Amino acid sequence: MEMLSVRQLSKIYGGKVPSRALTDISLSIEEGEFVGIMGPSGSGKTTLLHLVAAIDTPTTGEVLINGSNPHKLKKRDLARFRRRELGFVFQDFNLLNTLTVEENIVLPLTLEGERVKVMEEKVAIIANKLGIESILKKRIYEISGGQAQRTAIARAMIHSPKFLFADEPTGNLDSKSARDVMETLSEINRSEGTAMMLVTHDAVAASYCHRVVFIKDGQLFNEINCGESRQAFFQKIIDVLSLLGGNAHDLSTIRV
Amino acid sequence: MTFRQFAFNNVLRNKRTYAAYFLSSAFSVMVFFVYAVFAFHPDLANGKINNNISTGMHFAEGLIYVFSFFFVLYSMSAFLKTRKKEFGLMIMLGMTHTQLRKMVFLENVLIGFFATISGIVLGLVLSKLLLLASENFLQLDESLPFYMPIKAIMLALAAFIVLFVLISLFTVIILRANNLIDLIKGSSKPRTEPKSSVLLSWLALILLAGGYAVAMIVKGIFVVYAMIPVTLVVIIGTYFLFTQLSVYLIHKSRSKRSFFWRGTNMLFLSDLSYRMKDNARTFFMVAALSAVSFSAIGSLVGFKTMSTEVLLNENPFAFEYVSYEGNESVAPTHLEAIESALRAGKFDYARLQATLSEQTTDSGSKVTVVKASEYNAIAQAANEQTVQLSGDQAAMVYYANKVMGEKTEQKARSVRLSAGYELKPSTSISPTSLLIDDSYYVIADSLFDMLDRRETNVFYAFDVKGDYKKTLKIGRNLTEIFHGDNFRFQSLAYDAHQLTQGFGVVLFIGLFIGAVFFVAAGSFLYFRLYADLPDDKAKFASIMKLGLTDGELSKILTRQLLILFFAPIAVAIVHGAIALNSLQRLFGYSLMRESFLVLGTFVLIQVVYFLLIRTRYIRQVLDFIPNR
Repeated sequence: MEMLSVRQLSKIYGGKVPSRALTDISLSIEEGEFVGIMGPSGSGKTTLLHLVAAIDTPTTGEVLINGSNPHKLKKRDLARFRRRELGFVFQDFNLLNTLTVEENIVLPLTLEGERVKVMEEKVAIIANKLGIESILKKRIYEISGGQAQRTAIARAMIHSPKFLFADEPTGNLDSKSARDVMETLSEINRSEGTAMMLVTHDAVAASYCHRVVFIKDGQLFNEINCGESRQAFFQKIIDVLSLLGGNAHDLSTIRV
Repeated sequence: MTFRQFAFNNVLRNKRTYAAYFLSSAFSVMVFFVYAVFAFHPDLANGKINNNISTGMHFAEGLIYVFSFFFVLYSMSAFLKTRKKEFGLMIMLGMTHTQLRKMVFLENVLIGFFATISGIVLGLVLSKLLLLASENFLQLDESLPFYMPIKAIMLALAAFIVLFVLISLFTVIILRANNLIDLIKGSSKPRTEPKSSVLLSWLALILLAGGYAVAMIVKGIFVVYAMIPVTLVVIIGTYFLFTQLSVYLIHKSRSKRSFFWRGTNMLFLSDLSYRMKDNARTFFMVAALSAVSFSAIGSLVGFKTMSTEVLLNENPFAFEYVSYEGNESVAPTHLEAIESALRAGKFDYARLQATLSEQTTDSGSKVTVVKASEYNAIAQAANEQTVQLSGDQAAMVYYANKVMGEKTEQKARSVRLSAGYELKPSTSISPTSLLIDDSYYVIADSLFDMLDRRETNVFYAFDVKGDYKKTLKIGRNLTEIFHGDNFRFQSLAYDAHQLTQGFGVVLFIGLFIGAVFFVAAGSFLYFRLYADLPDDKAKFASIMKLGLTDGELSKILTRQLLILFFAPIAVAIVHGAIALNSLQRLFGYSLMRESFLVLGTFVLIQVVYFLLIRTRYIRQVLDFIPNR
């Protein structure tokens, strides 16, 4: 079943000199699919993610998530839709410093008016799955970057969303933490069957996906599928990246 | 680009950040200056108000200066806080500490200088308006004309240039203490959760409850003894209320999940504990100052109303004239002057008179007696009880002071006159119509006629029908014309007017200082709020991505602002109400109406302030969030 369908999506930023960020992008993501979006800086990856997640509005084109168009929703319903159906993971975690880890995780549920008992059960389950039970009572400034990102994933997953968006989730992490986070995402994708869309610069991170879509100058450039081996997939990604321009070795180190 | 150009551009291109600081500085200069215009007003200085008041005014000026100092210092530190990161960057790029300090010092002195100038210019305009307003509002007699306040200008200039130089030096010293790492991390450094002590939280509760209980229980003169200790206890209690109890309560609510994890409570409360802790001292200051001004203004207004009412109650007649011995030659001309003035003014009036005859008692002291028929005529005119006397019956008349506490009743005392008559009064009464300095006796006409009448004073009353206030002009003219020592002339309208005048100036000062503190307190919060705005914007932008409706966002912000704006005021109102309640029991006179009027006005101003800032603040946060 098609989870996300993007048809002829374009985005032009206004201003004195209008600039075209995306041109006629069409894309489809199946239920339970884990798709990576890659491309050089300024290619429009993040713009695409913002349009798909209804954080930004497209100039033309259509986005359907699970059959409904989030851009057609009223602002109020859109907020509800986001916190019920979608999950977000950001590069800079976006956790609230004033709350504990546990409180950060239940935040979307409190806004929904969920019962405390249910929330506690869900926190326990998700924390166990992500291995963060020991830090639940800690404050955000007391935990490491990897733990913070796993907390953010827990927050994004607590309401069992149909679709998870991740915007450079490994961008601020060292390679060990980055691997932990990607394995966590991959594991959730496998066990929960949540469709995921990952925007990244990191070829290693991208290699956890089922499929990677490349964008260049706002247009689809290429698309490759993961085959039998993750190692081979990683190599293929590196090849495409070098084709996109630049050298293989410096691309893999770009993080921002 | 030279260093100077750089510093200059830095100011110009950072307009918004500087503007807030500039405006708050100009504002405090303006307040100080406008007040100085009044304090140095030549008409007030030339003996129209008494010396105590003018000393009081200058003392208050000093208070405003101290307040301005903290206000400017505060806005300055809020201003520097927003620029910490910028300073860190400059030092990292190789700016020496000396250069940085030079830059900050120059900027501050320049801003200070221009703020002083604009504050004075704005103050000139405002003082003109206020002078007009004070005349009308306070029914001040002669208008306070606008004048060129050279003294006030010089004072404000000197005071604020000193202030800004001092504060600039001060900040330069503070700046040095900062490490590069702190500067670069700026305000983004995560902060530990505010702590509070259980013991001190309970102490706050106990102190407040105890203070209130004592204030509610004590009566009469004990209010005076209790006043200072109770005030101290309540002030300490208020301090701990804001610094400890508020944080403690929020912390406690955290562990109550059924409450904390509901709806927007989590977002609203977690932030609030930081803000309460940050603002605790401001809140305390605002609450204490507001409570003091509430009670001061409330009791002033109450005292004025009370004095006026007592005056009106005790003087039923528009004019009273008492002619003492030795005045026989002047009295007819004076009386004629009063009557002709009344006739010229086409007043319907009745002239009443009573002979006050002084008798010697057998113990050698003096006692005054009045003829019953004359007394009854006057009592009747004032709608008071008459006395029926015959033979050697008498009634004792005394003055009961109703101002402080209960009526002081006096028992009838008998007295034996040296002429041989014994006055045994059957009743003692305390009317308002015919009163002299001492108590006296009303006796039957027949008895009165038998007494020796060499030493007599005469009491005249002019009972004017209609509004007594219309006789103000006559009263004032006559008071000015009449000269001599052996009479007493009293015009009710003129006395009431004088009372209003006297209180008017004091009230004006009270209201002005109250308003200054009040507005300053609001501005404190305003600047505090805008220092937090960038954090709020970033925070809500990320929560909105997770799915937060506009309605929920404005609910969270509204509740936060409500608490920030009304917590100190609410506390001040409760304090003020309790204080006025005690004062009311001291005076034995209800201050309720006046208190509500004063408190209500302040609350109303604060509500308007709140609504304005709330709308602006929410809009600014929402505008920052992309794609809306």
